[in-house]
Amino acid sequence: MRWRLWLLMAPALALLLAVFAAPLLHYLWLSTQAQTVLTGLRPQPIGAQQWLRLWNDGRFWQDTWQTLRFSAASVSLEMLLGLVVALLLNQPLRGRALLRTISLLPWALPTTVMALGWRWIFNDPYGPINRLLAWLGLGAIPFLSNPAITWMAAVGADTWKTTPFVALLLLAGLQTIPADLYEAAALEGATPWQALQRITLPLLTPYVLIALLFRLAQALGVFDLIQVLTGGGPAGSTESLALYAYLNAMRFLDFGYSATLLLGSFAILLLLCSTAALAWRWSSRLQGELR
Amino acid sequence: MALRWRLLLVTLTAALLIGFGALARARVEPVSVLMPAPFADASADLVQEFNSSHQGIQLTVTRGPLETEAVSDLAISSLLLENSPYDLLLMDVTWTPKYAAAGWLEPLESWLGTDAMEDLAAGAELGNAFSGHLWRFPLVADMGLLYWRTDLMEAPPRTPAELVAISRRLQRESRVTWGYVWQGKQYEGLSCVYLEVLRGFGGSWLMDDQPQLDSPAALAATGWLQDLVRQGVTPAAVANMGEPEALQLFQAGDAAFMRNWPYAWAELNKPESPLRGKVAFTTMVSDVGNPHAATQGSWGFSLLAGSKHKAAAVEVLRYLTSAEAQKQLNLRWGYTPTRLSVFEDPELLAANPALGDLQQALAASVLRPLSPVYAQLSDLLYRELNTVITGDRADQTAMQQVQSNSERLLRTSGGQG
Repeated sequence: MRWRLWLLMAPALALLLAVFAAPLLHYLWLSTQAQTVLTGLRPQPIGAQQWLRLWNDGRFWQDTWQTLRFSAASVSLEMLLGLVVALLLNQPLRGRALLRTISLLPWALPTTVMALGWRWIFNDPYGPINRLLAWLGLGAIPFLSNPAITWMAAVGADTWKTTPFVALLLLAGLQTIPADLYEAAALEGATPWQALQRITLPLLTPYVLIALLFRLAQALGVFDLIQVLTGGGPAGSTESLALYAYLNAMRFLDFGYSATLLLGSFAILLLLCSTAALAWRWSSRLQGELR
Repeated sequence: MALRWRLLLVTLTAALLIGFGALARARVEPVSVLMPAPFADASADLVQEFNSSHQGIQLTVTRGPLETEAVSDLAISSLLLENSPYDLLLMDVTWTPKYAAAGWLEPLESWLGTDAMEDLAAGAELGNAFSGHLWRFPLVADMGLLYWRTDLMEAPPRTPAELVAISRRLQRESRVTWGYVWQGKQYEGLSCVYLEVLRGFGGSWLMDDQPQLDSPAALAATGWLQDLVRQGVTPAAVANMGEPEALQLFQAGDAAFMRNWPYAWAELNKPESPLRGKVAFTTMVSDVGNPHAATQGSWGFSLLAGSKHKAAAVEVLRYLTSAEAQKQLNLRWGYTPTRLSVFEDPELLAANPALGDLQQALAASVLRPLSPVYAQLSDLLYRELNTVITGDRADQTAMQQVQSNSERLLRTSGGQG
């Protein structure tokens, strides 16, 4: 009977294999080859040399740190703001449908277009923010030309764009919470704050996790926003792993190393996710024991 | 009955005509060219003329993206699939060795003949040949220029020290906010800016395939650029300035000098430009005894090795780069020609008095290293230079870093510098 199960699953498994496993295996093979403009784009086996190069490449580690920093900052901001927006939009306000539509607009914009818009907003000295500051007699903010500030500008632009996405997911979650739970809590004399803590947040957890997963995966692979907004500058301070891999493939025609870079970031992502999952299980077990 | 026969006759004739028409059309060779958007727009008239005067060839132009590297990305994506829809590619000067080494280009010398390059103006012949073959024929010349304000000074500075002195005087007198704006963003433009200053201090990027980026001249060039920012001659925002941002600041009248390409000349002299008639250009400043250098950035056509219509594509190449075509491109769109005969055309000289100056700047032009790994070399350079400009790293440390990284890159790439 069991073989029939596998037979029925076979088409789906084959598709998964073709879409995910095959490219990954191809990249694994490519990471053992030198395939560059200097080999006439013909692959030549070079063993583990690409991996050694990756290990010794300070730029890879710098970009790893920068990608993690960007992801951590933008995703946590988005989760926080997204929750606030979702709670607001869940209130029975007048014109709620209109508000919900408007709040989705940033997410509906293509990233390239919105990045160009932010590049103009951040322009020094002619962007609107710096003009306002000049009019107030204050100095300009070097949004895109100071390594200490530019990565935050990129986080700001990303947060603006993807908060609506998080808000939408959480709003869907909020609407699955039955209203009688709140009524019961109110009858028991619970404050709105207590209701939020004891009812809303625990019941929203699965949705928070889904939003977190989506956003982390997207943020760790950030490319288009950075490419358009800063091109990785200033001083390489906003370059992400995806941008570095792109440079190696499309600009330098160094496909072996580009594949190694992608696998390297994939490994880091896996490590990160498994650590997070373990920590999650450990902490929930600990909570269970405490109860 | 007669009507029916007549109808049949008409139908048969029509069918035969359509059939022959289709046969005739099948003999028409399609030639497809990929160009960046501005060139595609500018050459639209020429393409129409070509198609009406060449019955055997159907020329179509694909309007690529605006940005230089985005065009390359598009071309490379199609070439990697090994079935590129293009026959000709309009290429930036820095791409040629890379594309040639990748095996994507067809050598042109046998197609164009040995005298093909004879009419090229001095400086325009550079950057088309690599490792013994001709890979590209130039259409439009481009080189770095120093723009200066004729309403603020009598004559342009010729040395780095003069440029700083004039800037600071004008800034002290509150006649401009900034002295000099250029391209300091972490991208190719910064390497172009640097090469001109480097030559001006007597240095070079590569010599006998060896990088020279920690030489005293290289350090002097880096130090000068860094000091421009430190002394406030150049705004700190230069660390994120490309060509449009520099032009925007200069055109608003907020700076006395700007480094940019010839396209800015047309922009600055548009009727609505506040600086119309108040600007002139010259070559980059240099230390006494060293040349005034202009980084060459020309565009030219390459024939793709995978093209199935090479003869027709070469016909197109000849037509679009002919003296007549270059003259039209200059008259209507202000593009700088590459042919000597076009530079010396009396009609053009009358219409565009700056042409002589452009020819001189072109003659002073210098090439960025011709190497298949140029993109990496330049990436190493502009990344470190940008850290110096933002003040994140001392100039000497940064240049030593560029030097050792460039050495390693050229060593591992088998000395194919």
